[in-house]
Amino acid sequence: MAVKLLKSKTGEASSHKYETLLKLTILSLGAILSFSTRLFSVLRYESVIHEFDPYFNYRTTKFLAEEGYFAFHNWFDDRAWYPLGRIIGGTIYPGLMVTAAVFHYVLNFFNFLVDVRNVCVFLAPLFSSFTTIVTYLLTKELKNESAGLTAAVMIAIVPGYISRSVAGSYDNEGIAIFCMLLTYYFWIKAVKTGSIAWAAACSLAYFYMVSSWGGYVFLINLIPLHVFVLMVTGRFSHRIYVAYSTLYCIGTILSMQIPFVGFQPVQSSEHMLAFGVFGLAQILAFIDYLKSKLTQEQFDTLFHAVFSLFGIIVIGAVSVLLITGKISPWTGRFYSLLDPSYAKNNIPIIASVSEHQPTAWSSFYFDLQLLVFLFPVGLYVCFSNLNDANIFIILYGITSIYFAGVMVRLMLVLAPVMCIMGGIAVASLLGKYIKDIDQGSKSHEKKTVKGRDSQQSQSRRSEISMAFVGMLTFFMVMYAFHCTWVTSEAYSSPSIVLSARSYDGSLIIFDDFREAYYWLRMNTPPDAKIMSWWDYGYQITAMANRTILVDNNTWNNTHISRVGQAMASPEDKAYEIMRELDVDYVLVIFGGLTGYSSDDINKFLWMVRIGGSTDRGSHIKEQDYYSSNGEFRVDREGSQNMLNCLMYKMCYYRFGQMYTEGGKPTGYDRVRSAEIGNKDFELDVLEEAYTTEHWL
Amino acid sequence: MFLPAVDIRIRITGVKSWKVKNKSRAFWSGQFNVSNALLLSTVSSAQYSFCVAYTKVRMRALNVALFLCCLGVAICQQVEVEPLVIQHAERTIDISSQLVQISHKLKIENTGATGGKYVLFTVEPQLKSHLSFFGATLGKEGKGLRSTIVPLNSLTSALTYRIELPTPVTKGKTVDVEVETVYTRYIEPFPTEISQKDKQLVKYVGSHYLYSPYKVVKQTTKISMASKNIESFTKLKPFSQSDSSLTFGPYENIAPTSVSELTVHYENNSPFLTVTKLERVIEVSHWGNIAVEEKIEILHTGAKLKGSFSRFDYQREPNSGISSIKAFKTILPAAARDVYYRDDIGNISTSNMYVKHDSVELTLRPRFPLFGGWKTRYVIGYNLPSYEYLFADGSQYALKMRLLDHVFDTLVVDELVVKIILPEGSSDLKLKTPYEVRQLPRTLHFTYLDVTGRPVITLTKRNLVENHIQDFTLEYNFPRVYMLREPLVVILAFLVLFVTVLIYVRLDFSISSSKAAASKGGNSAVSETVLRRHGKRAGLYETFDTQLSKLKANKDASAYQAALKNLTQDHKAETQAINDIITKTRPESPELADSITELQKLDRGFWEVYIQYGQSLEKLVAGKMARPQFLEQDNQFNTKRDELAEKINKIIKTL
Repeated sequence: MAVKLLKSKTGEASSHKYETLLKLTILSLGAILSFSTRLFSVLRYESVIHEFDPYFNYRTTKFLAEEGYFAFHNWFDDRAWYPLGRIIGGTIYPGLMVTAAVFHYVLNFFNFLVDVRNVCVFLAPLFSSFTTIVTYLLTKELKNESAGLTAAVMIAIVPGYISRSVAGSYDNEGIAIFCMLLTYYFWIKAVKTGSIAWAAACSLAYFYMVSSWGGYVFLINLIPLHVFVLMVTGRFSHRIYVAYSTLYCIGTILSMQIPFVGFQPVQSSEHMLAFGVFGLAQILAFIDYLKSKLTQEQFDTLFHAVFSLFGIIVIGAVSVLLITGKISPWTGRFYSLLDPSYAKNNIPIIASVSEHQPTAWSSFYFDLQLLVFLFPVGLYVCFSNLNDANIFIILYGITSIYFAGVMVRLMLVLAPVMCIMGGIAVASLLGKYIKDIDQGSKSHEKKTVKGRDSQQSQSRRSEISMAFVGMLTFFMVMYAFHCTWVTSEAYSSPSIVLSARSYDGSLIIFDDFREAYYWLRMNTPPDAKIMSWWDYGYQITAMANRTILVDNNTWNNTHISRVGQAMASPEDKAYEIMRELDVDYVLVIFGGLTGYSSDDINKFLWMVRIGGSTDRGSHIKEQDYYSSNGEFRVDREGSQNMLNCLMYKMCYYRFGQMYTEGGKPTGYDRVRSAEIGNKDFELDVLEEAYTTEHWL
Repeated sequence: MFLPAVDIRIRITGVKSWKVKNKSRAFWSGQFNVSNALLLSTVSSAQYSFCVAYTKVRMRALNVALFLCCLGVAICQQVEVEPLVIQHAERTIDISSQLVQISHKLKIENTGATGGKYVLFTVEPQLKSHLSFFGATLGKEGKGLRSTIVPLNSLTSALTYRIELPTPVTKGKTVDVEVETVYTRYIEPFPTEISQKDKQLVKYVGSHYLYSPYKVVKQTTKISMASKNIESFTKLKPFSQSDSSLTFGPYENIAPTSVSELTVHYENNSPFLTVTKLERVIEVSHWGNIAVEEKIEILHTGAKLKGSFSRFDYQREPNSGISSIKAFKTILPAAARDVYYRDDIGNISTSNMYVKHDSVELTLRPRFPLFGGWKTRYVIGYNLPSYEYLFADGSQYALKMRLLDHVFDTLVVDELVVKIILPEGSSDLKLKTPYEVRQLPRTLHFTYLDVTGRPVITLTKRNLVENHIQDFTLEYNFPRVYMLREPLVVILAFLVLFVTVLIYVRLDFSISSSKAAASKGGNSAVSETVLRRHGKRAGLYETFDTQLSKLKANKDASAYQAALKNLTQDHKAETQAINDIITKTRPESPELADSITELQKLDRGFWEVYIQYGQSLEKLVAGKMARPQFLEQDNQFNTKRDELAEKINKIIKTL
């Protein structure tokens, strides 16, 4: 007797309650896990902001929290880009800062004295636990609840996302992923129900996304793409019409409220797909309307006439706008997305950022592990049960996997969809096989008069299922271990404090960055101008509170190029450039003593390339800095240009007398494993102001 | 509410100085203590009304006093230099650190017929602004003597202290007085700028003679320095030099206030560190903890660094940058725990902590070595158990802690700000300080779970040295019941949260579905009766099952027939009852009626399946059917029954 007649609803209701409890427990555990796994760096080091960009965000947040929104909006920052300055309010995505400032304000209103720094440090983990919940909701809409739970737990620990959201990595991406998934969730809801309310919620979420990250462009292209594919596959309906029209209208108007975005949504090419699809949606809806009113023949005639006329008008208008420059061409970063080699050839400044490099295959596995294999399975499951929502997630998966391949940074966008797909895959596989185990055990118990063969096949099936489920569980456990390991080893160092193990196993901490910045802060005049390579710009303004020439917001290529020229020129020429730029101090980072490999000498080639990329620096050629063999060397065989440029001299000043490693001559560079070529020299125009303990 | 009290206090202070000028001590002595007490304590709210009344009475007296004082000033000189003679003066000037610590051993004889109640001690004009600490003790017993600043007409430019003796010195008798003075930032680096490899040379300018309003019969001066490396010094005979010290004198019969310039130019590489600002926050919690946090700004006040700083030389040569400061030791109370050391941009990783039996020694290394003119800023904080510093008597508490604590040896603090944060609800604050400090207006501090705010007392004083590390006492009233306030706030907050959730879950806020919900509510009674009826019917099927299995086992067809008759009757009755409900509900909610009708239809099918199965079983029992055929039917029956049961269950769930 397999199915029993229910006598009443009560039994079912209590099991429903248990289910809710279980769901809530899993979900909240997932959220807590995603928060706590990101705290490695805080526990190991301290509650400190990481990397470069977050320092700028932290500084602006502090300003916002102290001065209020209007002052922030009108803030002209004279500390950066001397002598040009920078209008902060109009050149950033304020979502992150506003969010943090609101948290700070609310907490302080209730007398929870949490300072801005701590709010900033813990914002990213907090939002990743929100992301966990949103992922659950989204996957639930796409597949079912069990898939949702699996995806939520997976995203809680996926390294690809953790890399950008550990405590202290206070960057736009931290909250942007949450916004993105939230927008997707509302979008799926809107598509499914066709209700204006959901579409409006979606556009609000979209607004939040726009205010927090430049990556919103991906979103505003993906959703129209989805709509477009639905049109092509003949799934276009009133629901989609309502959802998309609402989203596009409200979303565009809202997004234009962000000063940095401005009129881009109606002018730039990146947004044209959205606009075109919007127009197309109107036409399609109109055609549907006409179809219902007219006979077939009348309709055909009208259709042909109008279609050709309209097509000509649109093409004409777009080309006129393009020529007159009303629609701006695509930006460099966007080009480099479509054509990975574009940046390398044209804009060295974009290519010089490590996170804009194409992704290595190994890093896919490193960041996603099991999900790499589950992704196709999830894709298959989605295809086998095709509907409007599934088409969306398929599109999202495929486009993001392409983008992640082009740019390391966009691994972040890929990670959530990988988790969703993985969740769907695991849930459907487990669902299938666990059922078999159930049946198998039941048939065993029953021992009815069934045939021997069928019974045997039943039991074998159950064994296979058992093995499969066991294997999958094993993989999942491995995944969890891998994620934790990656998080703890690779993504939890603040990069501002370096640590190494000495021979006897004790921990050595290199805190030279902060040593230098703090020295600048305390012991230079408040209006001192500091020249350094742009990587350190944000950190200097935030930690040393001094004026700098260039920073990580690389908006002015010529200015950066000028600094690159100064670094690459011999001392006397550099002096002229520095006088022109009104520089008081020069900061270089040198890792030759400690073996810190991402120092300025290793970045030097980029300085040369960027320095030589403008007219004024055309005399600086990359070739001049290579040795005769075409190698980049700092030892005796290095080119004379190299051995006499400002950067070289500053880094290796008096390094020639220094013993760094036993058994090696003086001036042995531990990063490049070479004895330096030019040892005894004096600085003529600069003097050593301060060198940190480990010569960084 | 507190402000008027402070105002009164200031006035009284003013009067006090008047009082000193006036010599009629007998008249004032009674009130001296009162005003002093008022000076040291700030009047709390409870005492306020009393105070106002009291002050009104006093104000009249003060007016009279004011008048008398004016008269006094006009008639007589403020302080007389009594006919005392210093028989022997021994000065030890310690200039081995950045401080000038001078201890005087004075043997004083009264040569006049009267007086002898006090001794005057003057500080040279150029040293006046550098004086940080002044202390006088009675020679033999080492007993502390009370001293006050008095104006001296003959020496207006100097600073004169009047040291009051416990017993007056009568004519011809002598008394031993020891005076300890500490001057800060008086030793000047000379040259003022040095390069990294240079040693730091400093210059001390003083006098060979004791600057005194009295005649000095015989005096010697000993100067001890940091090193034996002396560039030059004024050679007023007799003098002697040994190792790192110089001895001048004895000089005999020197007239009052005579000066002979003494200069020593010598090497001094001891740390010239000045705390330019120290902000000390003491937060008292009655849950057993006192949190102390000190924000410290440090400046190297020695010779400034000239030229570049070379890390290479600094690491290679031990004498390079000898006057710079790499690290210093801070001694914290023995009970200090959870010590942290950080600055504006985060934790400073270069520090060591040694826990000793009577103190916690902290070796602090700033982020960078401090050269002349370089400064840094850091925060240090720690927790202390309150039982060592907080004493209770009922609801009356006394906090006894150091006003200033050790930062480094030979400490100089330019400006000290102490903030004492008491628990929320404390009242009747009475503060006793070991030396005079300026009290700033009281404020309120809000932190976790505070409603009304915590009272904060802020004190400030300039120019302090190690001798100022002394205890203050703060008495206040704190009802123990207030301890429960914070837990109650938490409980209340959670209560509000839960109640809100409760209300939110229980109430339906939506607008559109309200009608449907209402009709659903009306129908719930109907569906309940249907469910009840259906439940009974399900019971009938179970009986049917047992009857069937009985038939299979016993092969008793007649018994089965009888049971079947009963079952059919009962089933009919229930079905009819449900049918009645359908007709009743149809006009009100056709949807519900539809679903029940569907249920009925399925149930009919279900019943048929059972009946048919029963018939074939009967046939089998009667031997009218072959077994294989029956098994086939059995299978069919099972699948059909499962299918229908599933459908029925689905409908039941929606009801």
